[in-house]
Amino acid sequence: MSNPATVDGIAIEHLSFAYRSRTGAEVRALDDISLSVPNASFHALLGPSGCGKSTLLYCIGGFLPVTSGSIRTAKGVVTEPGPERGVVFQNFALFPWKTVLQNVLYGLGKRGTKGEQARQRARSFIDLVHLTGFEDSFPSQLSGGMQQRAALARTLAADPDILLMDEPFGALDAQTRRIMQEELLAIWRQTRKTVVFVTHDVAEAVYLADTISVMSARPGRIRQTIAAGFNQEADHGVFKRPAFTELVEHIWELVRAEVDQARGVQAV
Amino acid sequence: MSCEAIGARLPGQARPSVPWAWLQGAGLRASGVIAVLAIWAVVGQLGLVRPFLLPPLPAVVAQLGGDLASGGFAISAATTLYRALVGFALACAIGIPVGIMISRHRLVGWFVTPIVSVGFPTPTLAFLPIFMLWFGVFDLSKIVMTAFSTVFTVIAAADAGTRGVERHLVWSAQSLGARRREIFLEVMLPAAMPQILTGLQVALPLALIVEVAAEMLMGGDGLGGRMLQAENYADSVGVYAGIVEIAAVGAVAVALMARLRYRLLRWHAEAAER
Amino acid sequence: MTRTMIRYAPLLILAALWEALTRLGIVPRSLLPPVSDVFAAFVGMLRDGSLLSNAAESFGRGAAGLAAAVLIGFLLGAGMALRPRFHAVIGPLVQAFYPLPKTALVPLVMIWFGLGDIGKIVLIFLGCLLPVTLGTYNGVRGVDRVLVWSARSLGARPREVVLEVMLPAALPQILTGLRTATAFAFLLMVASELIIANNGLGYLIGSLGDNGAYPAMYAAIFTVIALGFCADQAFAALSAHLLRWRA
Repeated sequence: MSNPATVDGIAIEHLSFAYRSRTGAEVRALDDISLSVPNASFHALLGPSGCGKSTLLYCIGGFLPVTSGSIRTAKGVVTEPGPERGVVFQNFALFPWKTVLQNVLYGLGKRGTKGEQARQRARSFIDLVHLTGFEDSFPSQLSGGMQQRAALARTLAADPDILLMDEPFGALDAQTRRIMQEELLAIWRQTRKTVVFVTHDVAEAVYLADTISVMSARPGRIRQTIAAGFNQEADHGVFKRPAFTELVEHIWELVRAEVDQARGVQAV
Repeated sequence: MSCEAIGARLPGQARPSVPWAWLQGAGLRASGVIAVLAIWAVVGQLGLVRPFLLPPLPAVVAQLGGDLASGGFAISAATTLYRALVGFALACAIGIPVGIMISRHRLVGWFVTPIVSVGFPTPTLAFLPIFMLWFGVFDLSKIVMTAFSTVFTVIAAADAGTRGVERHLVWSAQSLGARRREIFLEVMLPAAMPQILTGLQVALPLALIVEVAAEMLMGGDGLGGRMLQAENYADSVGVYAGIVEIAAVGAVAVALMARLRYRLLRWHAEAAER
Repeated sequence: MTRTMIRYAPLLILAALWEALTRLGIVPRSLLPPVSDVFAAFVGMLRDGSLLSNAAESFGRGAAGLAAAVLIGFLLGAGMALRPRFHAVIGPLVQAFYPLPKTALVPLVMIWFGLGDIGKIVLIFLGCLLPVTLGTYNGVRGVDRVLVWSARSLGARPREVVLEVMLPAALPQILTGLRTATAFAFLLMVASELIIANNGLGYLIGSLGDNGAYPAMYAAIFTVIALGFCADQAFAALSAHLLRWRA
């Protein structure tokens, strides 16, 4: 008998988020957002800068308090951060004073997993992200791509049901980004988490996601949700397929319309 | 490490548009100071503490008023400030060029660096008896003491500022045809200014600290000298009034320095935050 | 080892210059006794115990004042950074206290505590309080919120976040504040002992000067400088070790 307050995946209902700016004016960052992310699916949030996609992610993460509406997961209504919703940030957010291994062990310790069992589990995730051999390195000694892998390992080791990713590859160079995209897909297929992925790179979204929500500029609303589905295969060759490029173009037009609207330009 | 930041609002604590909330905020901020003054007044009234230890607030206020009216405050403040500022100016005149040269002339760098690394963190006030021996007990020794105590801070800041200049700025200037001297005056100095000014903002309060201590030791005039005199005559009202007076002078000096910084760095990102 | 010697060679050169100028009579010995005389006086004071006993007095007070400042300053700074109400009330008081030259408190401390140890300890405490408070405040405030969020989403409770994430992340700036505070402790130690002269290294310097024992006075002064320098170096080494994870 399932608790009506819980859902599979993520259910966002009439979510609004507002805050007071420096000048005291009220800013509506998110306006009446309703979205349903099925369990074990990969969902991308796209939109122009400042449209609130990261804000939406932070609300799901429980870091920002919602002004109205609700977010529900399998554990009930979201009110604060929790280990069932893991986060990966753009600037990695690794604890710089801990080694890679210590970072990965952190979440395990909070769950009560300690000792040799924890270390083994940590190492398995470090291997999963191809960082074997760097367990005792400090983040300052690693490249951007390696730091992001470490952050991913840390989040995955805590075994969250949901993975929230805030432009995780935005700080990486183009080549590393491609590699990380492929690896993320492989890991996702293996672990089948529910993923919400924020990005401004349309091609990245089409490559990775089952469904894509295009958001409008402030106040943030969901303009359209589109099915993609190119993420069943690993290789980047999919980027060249006509169906792929068409979808990318189509979505890009949608996003550009939002950018123009934000700038106040009439769409032709 | 900016102290102004401590008194300012926290980010995210926007100025509320509702007047009542603003009053609440302002009231909270004043409550600390008001509480201290209130406790002082009450304790004095109730006679909880000996008047010698904590003279009644009205008596101190009266003394302050008297000092202001008689011009005594003005003279003492001017004396203290004169000596502190001349010493500070001397430290800047010597320290800024030397600090800049450290990274540009190897010999200067090699020679000056260990001297600064010893002089900077150590209590140079300990040299006061030596300066008294050399220069007597009047203005000169106090000025030299102040200068000596602050010069190392200035050198360190000028050095850090010069080193921190992004080399891409210099390269751009070079490829645009600027000559060495022009690059120094038009690119390096402005780029090093923020850190140099930060060093000056640290050095100025230090100059006052040393000046006050020197006056107390050598006796005579100036705010510090008069305060120690008051103590010697068991004039605790005078001591409390003296503290307020010195604090006021210190506050004005710090505020002026901040104003100068704002003026000189109008182009900097910091100014945009205001 | 040789690298250190080359680095500090200019000090040796200055010392040699000093010795030469005074021995040759270019600078009168009454103003500047030769280095060798100063050194001899130093050894003498070590032998007769005056240096060590006064140093012990000074250090005891300095350490006590500094320790109290570190404890209270840390709590104040962290409190202000984490609790806006506390910051609103205490912040203006801190700001008002900041521009006061702390040496101005010497007469006040004399009124309240006389000429004894407590007064000097209180003075050092008050002088070191602000650097620690500011360092802690800036350090905690500057903690990147994504570090806090990551910890929370990994299951850390709010108290654990403060101890396990905010504290280490704020450590660099806290240590900078501590380093400044240490320098202030020495400064106020010397100032208070020169003015309230009954024991300690500052007193030693002053009384030797009053008695015209200049080589010994110079020796005492340079001892204080050396101690301050060693303390700062030790602190730098400690910081480097604690912060070895930095880039």
